[in-house]
This record gives sequence, C-alpha cells and structure tokens, in this order.
Amino acid sequence: MSASSGALRSSLNIGARRSQRLAQAMQRWPVSVRVAAGVLGVLVVVALLANVIVPLDDTAVDLDRVLDGPSAAHLMGTDEVGRDLFARVLHGFRISLTIAVLAALAAVIVGTVVGVLAGTMGGKVDALVMRVTDVFASQNHFLFGILLLVLFRPALGGAGAVMLAVGLTHWPSLARIVRRELMSLRERPFVSAAIGGGASRWRLARRHYLPHLMPAVGLAFVLTVPHAVFHESAYSFLGLGLPAHEASLGNILADGQRSLLAGGWWIALFPGLAILTAAMTISTLAEYWREHLHPRWRSELEL
Amino acid sequence: MLSAEAITKSFRAATGRLVAIDRVSLELECGARLGLVGPSGSGKSTLAQIMAMLLAPDGGAVRIDGDRVDVWGVRCTRELRHRVQLVFQAPRVAVDPRLRLGEAILEPLAASAIMPAGADERAELLQTWAARVGLTRDLLERFPHEVSEGQLQRACLARALVVRPRYLICDELSSMLDVSTQAALLETVAAIQAERELGVLLITHDRVLADAWCGAVADIRELSTRDEAEAVAVATQSRSGALNVLLRGGLRRATRP
Amino acid sequence: MTSLLEVEDLSVGFRTRRGVVEALSHASVTIRPGELLLVVGESGSGKTVLAHMLLALLPRNVDVSGSVRLGGQELLALPPAELRRVRGRRMALIPQSPASSLNPVRKLGGQLLEAARARGLSEKQARTRLRELLAELGLDLEFIGGRYVHQLSGGMQQRVVNAMALVGEPDIVIADEPTSGLDADLVDATAAQLREISARGESLLVITHDLRLAERLAGRLALLYASRIVEVGPTMSFFAGPAHPYGRELLRALPEREGKSIPGLAPELTALPGHCAFADRCPDRFDRCGESIPDLYPAPDGVLARCFVHAER
Repeated sequence: MSASSGALRSSLNIGARRSQRLAQAMQRWPVSVRVAAGVLGVLVVVALLANVIVPLDDTAVDLDRVLDGPSAAHLMGTDEVGRDLFARVLHGFRISLTIAVLAALAAVIVGTVVGVLAGTMGGKVDALVMRVTDVFASQNHFLFGILLLVLFRPALGGAGAVMLAVGLTHWPSLARIVRRELMSLRERPFVSAAIGGGASRWRLARRHYLPHLMPAVGLAFVLTVPHAVFHESAYSFLGLGLPAHEASLGNILADGQRSLLAGGWWIALFPGLAILTAAMTISTLAEYWREHLHPRWRSELEL
Repeated sequence: MLSAEAITKSFRAATGRLVAIDRVSLELECGARLGLVGPSGSGKSTLAQIMAMLLAPDGGAVRIDGDRVDVWGVRCTRELRHRVQLVFQAPRVAVDPRLRLGEAILEPLAASAIMPAGADERAELLQTWAARVGLTRDLLERFPHEVSEGQLQRACLARALVVRPRYLICDELSSMLDVSTQAALLETVAAIQAERELGVLLITHDRVLADAWCGAVADIRELSTRDEAEAVAVATQSRSGALNVLLRGGLRRATRP
Repeated sequence: MTSLLEVEDLSVGFRTRRGVVEALSHASVTIRPGELLLVVGESGSGKTVLAHMLLALLPRNVDVSGSVRLGGQELLALPPAELRRVRGRRMALIPQSPASSLNPVRKLGGQLLEAARARGLSEKQARTRLRELLAELGLDLEFIGGRYVHQLSGGMQQRVVNAMALVGEPDIVIADEPTSGLDADLVDATAAQLREISARGESLLVITHDLRLAERLAGRLALLYASRIVEVGPTMSFFAGPAHPYGRELLRALPEREGKSIPGLAPELTALPGHCAFADRCPDRFDRCGESIPDLYPAPDGVLARCFVHAER
C-alpha cells in the first residue's frame, strides 16, 4: 500500500544519513543560535589550544608590571603580582570548562544509573530509591554543595571536590526523567514484541531502552554544564574550590574583587565575561534543542 | 496442540476499565484455524498475551505440545518462546521506532542468538521473508514513521514468522488496515500454514471475517467453563463447506477445514 | 434548502522539501441537493485530503488548483475569513469519535446551544430547533441537556454529535470515517443513522475505507486510487459489478467474497507514473495502459470509469 502520510511526513529524510540530516537541521537555526554556536566553537578551540597559544607559568611573576592595564604586551593587563591576565583567563577558561563538563558528566551518570535502577526494578526498590532522590532534590544546590566541599575537599582536592559537589546536587531531575521514560517504555507493545522474540533483560536495555533514553540524557548533560560553570566559579570565588594559585575563573574573579579597590578593574571584568559567555552560549544551544525535543521532557528539564 | 485451560485473569486496564477473563479454555491444533470473536474490552488481547507467554494468568494453565508453561514474560525459555508467536493489533506501537524495518524483522534472531553469521546469508533471509509478506527492498531500509500501517503490519508478520513458530496468534491483525492489505496478510499466513502445519488463532471483532477465514469460530464470552458437565454440541458450517463442531461448556476444539 | 456542490478538476499538492506530493489529481465530482455521495478509497488514495479540502483543514504548505463551488459560489476564490464563515454555516462535519469531540466537563445542553448559536440562531430559535431535531433523532432535549458526555451510551453520543452538525441546517453534511474505531457489529447501526440523516434532505458526503458500510448505503459512490477518481456511479451498480478493474479486485479481497489479495503495492504519491496508476497490478492490462493516463469514460449503468477498456465504446 502506498506510504501516504508516511510519504508526506518524511519526504526528505528517507535514506538520509545522520550527517546530512544534521546539516539540514543547522540551516534552520535562527540567528541567535548560530551566533551562540559560532562563539562557543571559537572559545572551545581556543581553550583546547591554550597551552599552545600561551603556556601558563604560575611563577612568571613580574613585580615591575604589577597591576598594569590592558596593553599591547599584555592584552588583558596584569594582576597584582604581575602575571599576564590573558594567559590566566585563557587557562582559567579551559580549566573551568573541563571541570564543569566532568561535573555534569558525573551528575548525568549518577542520574541515569539511579533512574534505570528505579525504573527497571520497580516495587520496593523503586520506592526507596525515589525517596532518596527526593531528599537530594529538595536541597538547595549551592548550600548543599558548600557542605560537600567542606567535607570532601581535604580528601579529594579542589577539582575533585567541586565535581562531587556539582554531581551530587544535579542528578535528581535526570533520575526522575529516566525512570519515567523507562516505565512508560516498558508498557509499550514493542517491548512485549521484543520479549516475544526472545530478548533477555540485558538485550532489552541495550537495544531498546538505552537508545530511547539517549536524547534526554544528552540534553540533561548539556543543560547542566552552564550550571556547573557557575557553581565552580562561585565555589572558587569563595575559596572553597580550586586552590588560589591555580587559574580558575572563579579564583581570578576573587583576585579581581580585591584589586578593584586598587583600581584594577580588568581583573574582575575578563573572567566575568568568560563565565558569562560560556554559560550563555551553551544555554542558548541547549534551550533551542529542548524547544525542539519531545514536549514530554520539557517541564522536567527545568534544571 | 496449543491449549489454554481454565485461564483466569482480571485487572484494571490503563483506562480504568476492569478486564476479566473467567476460566476460559480453548485448544488449537497444528494446521487449524480458530477464530476468536467478541466485542472490544472482552479480554481477547489479554488472553492472546497469556497464550503467548507474555503475561502470567491469575489461574489456569497453558500447554504447548504437552509442555506446561511455568515461567512468563522475560524469564520464559527461548525454546518455548519460539513455538508461539504473536502479531499485535497496532503495528505502529509494536515496533521500535528507532529500528529500520529490516532490522526489526531480524531482531528476534539476534535476540535469540540464532542470527546467521554472514551478511549475505542475512540479506538473503531478509529478502525471502520480505518477498513473502509483500515488502520491497527499499521499504526494508526505512524507519517505521516512513511507511504506512499496512506495510508495518507486513513487517510485523514477517518478524513473527522468522523464528518458525508452530502457532501464530493474530490479535486484530488487520482491524486498522485496508481490505486488500488484510487479504494479502491472510494469504501469506495461509501459505505458511499449508507449508508448515501452522496453527493459527485469529482474534478479531469482525465476525464476518472470522466466519469466512477460520475453520471454527468461538466467542470469548461463551468460553468460560461454568459447568463441566454441560456439553452441548453446536455444529457450524464454515465457508469452505467443512463441518466443524463447537462444544459449549468445555474445551473448544478447532479442526482442520 | 440545499444547493449543489461542484468540485471541478481539483488538485491538491503538498509542498515538501523533496518536491510536490500530488495527494489529489484532477478530481471532479458533483453532489446534488439531498444526495448521498460515498467517497471510498484505501489509505493513501486521497479521500481524506478531499474531505479536509472541503472542510478547510489542510495545512498551509499546499498547492490547490481547480474549482469548488457551493450553490454557484466559488469557494477557493474567497478570502480566508469569508471562507471560514461560509464553511461554518453551510458545511457541517460529523467527526470520527463523538466522545472526544464533545467537552467532557460541560453539560451537553450548553454545548448544543452553543453550536446552534454559532450557526446564527437566536437563543429561542436554538432551543426550538434543538428540541425538534433531537426528537427526530430519538432523543429528548431535557434529558440530554442536563447530562455529561460520559453519562450517555456510544450511540446516544453519536446522535448528539449528529444533532450539533444538523442544527444549523447545513447545505452539506460530511461524515469522515464514521466506522473507524468501531467494532464490526456496529456497521448496521452506523449505516442506519446515516440513512436517517440523508432522509432529512441534507446532502451527505461519506468518506470511508469501510466497504461494508458503503454496501449498506444508497446514493452514488466515487472510488479513489492513487490520488484519482477511478470510478463514479450508483452505489448499487458498484457492488453488483464494478466497471474498473481496481474496484473489481477490491471487492474480491473482501473475506466474505474471495479474500484474494491484489498483487503488488499501490504507487507512492511521490512517484506517480505517467500512465494508468493501476496498470502494474491489473489483470486486464494491455499496451495502451502503459502509455498514458485514461480519462473517465462512460461505462454501462450510468457509471464512469477511468479505464481504457471503456474507451472503445
């Protein structure tokens, strides 16, 4: 029989490979999204090449050049001990982004595991797991994060503790989504059909459940990164994150705060801009993705 | 013979309605066509899922060629699984939307670890089955949302037959489909039946279809065994002219036309 | 008072990124006042598009050509707002599942009144009309008015929806797949309801793929295949003996007849051939069939068929 509505609905994508579909989708992006993607792309490339562009040397202290404003030699000026700010911001961006990505990854992994556990086991295990999730979900992200940092920083070091703090505060919403998706998936006839064909639980998970969960998980990951960037910067700013001498955007911002009184406005401005840019570009892209995703997930992913 | 003995199951469906099957029994012999009719909500699909070992009944037993079914759902043994296959009513929700038709058809083989190793062998197997159900090669490459309901159901039929079952349960196989697709699907089933003595349980709300195609037809509402002693024989004549006997108040037996 | 609905050379194409999908090609059909016309086709034949076209339910990316005239007035030339008004007053739809087209949290009386008022009747006129109408359909306004949807049986729900469609005295009533989702044993009841409506004098257009329903209705029947009308004629003539080979094969596929399938698949709407669309599957095919698209030729018993077999006469 003819593929009537099938033909109308998907007339273009028959046989198109994923890369082609992505290219087509990209053509429909509004201006704001394209700008965000472009800026982010440039920043990421620059961050990755940070070591090549300007090697960081913490000890490049130049006491003759303390608190110089932006100039030809130092694009962003120097800080209170004469270090080149441009180098520090560049590396700071790299470090902060790396930590944020890893932290978001941690949150997503924990959320997925918990969600799968609750969704597949059901019954008492599900009830117990969901109550634990509720406890974590009801905490204020920031304050709880501080508590975790205070507890674990001695043991895990600055970066590790920050990843833990962000990871343990951001996993509950994804756990809920994963669990709900899984429970609805299990009711669908195609799962029965797969079981009818002889699929084991493992095969069901690998072949059917996981591919369906990937979009939600991926989106949650991308949405969490900006949050993680802010959190990491905030913790470092307070002195609870990375040690002061390491170039984290938050640390530099803290230095900047102190230097404001001495007139060094640039030390606060540039890292602030970097944080803001990173968070905004990623957020723009993630929001656009969420708009075009299945409506069912939208409300839950209000992280 | 695939038999259901005094199956009882009741639960509240997602819509809130109570579905209840009360001590229903029936027998399906190899090579026979048994029609099961009844209005929507009478429990036909539930019975189908129980007989296909996807759902555990509250009471009663299912036997396949004499072997009693003890475990249900995911834990059921593969060997038993492959003896009874079920085709679902709404093809669009009965296939994983992320799999291409060709992949979906061969999926039971992969899941059961009996997939042929060579890519050529697989392609040939797929091609054979596609031809049997009336699908062209280009359709095999498509995703479910790119094909029509009729084409999807053909793929589902192929998927059910690929593991070479002895019994096929069709749950409202063609209720949502056009007349010509229905005819094509039933012709394929009839052909397989002729080759392999496949026992077919055709579940439908369409009494006319059941009367025309099946050797014997039973209404699920009449199948509850209330009184074992009561055995009233009702003889019916199917379209093919064969005489079939329908027993009431006991086991239903479908004979070859 | 009903008027003539004339569809002439109507073509509807959907603009997709791959090109234009010809969902309906050069369809011409007339519904005379008070007549019942069945538009029958399998999925993908274009019948739903025809119904949606008449009801202005099509999405925006469509190319429409041809003419649709109601009582002489050309509908396709009207500006959108005017068109909506005309359609609202003069065409009424009986939707597929009555329960889902009625508001579950409002009493039915209110909904019925609202439907009547929307058609331009005053409060008093509406009540009178509704009372009469419901009585004709076997229902009591007082009884129905105070109840909610879920308190009525399926049959009664259907009658309420019918009443809402008929209250504005439309020129034409359109029933879109009236048996979809219903058990096969309800075909007789549905056919009876449709006959009742037809007997009142309104023109009735029934779109369906259910041949059993069509068999129980009189009037004329238009058969669609691959976006074209391939046969038009009295319903009785069709079921006694279709003039077009596709019609013949379609009836043969009914389980109560032969249950014989039609080999091959219908052509995709994105790739319609330049010759008879049924030729590849036709048992009576000859050379001319593969060369060009046939017109609708006169066949016996007042039937028109798009087949070269009838071109000779």
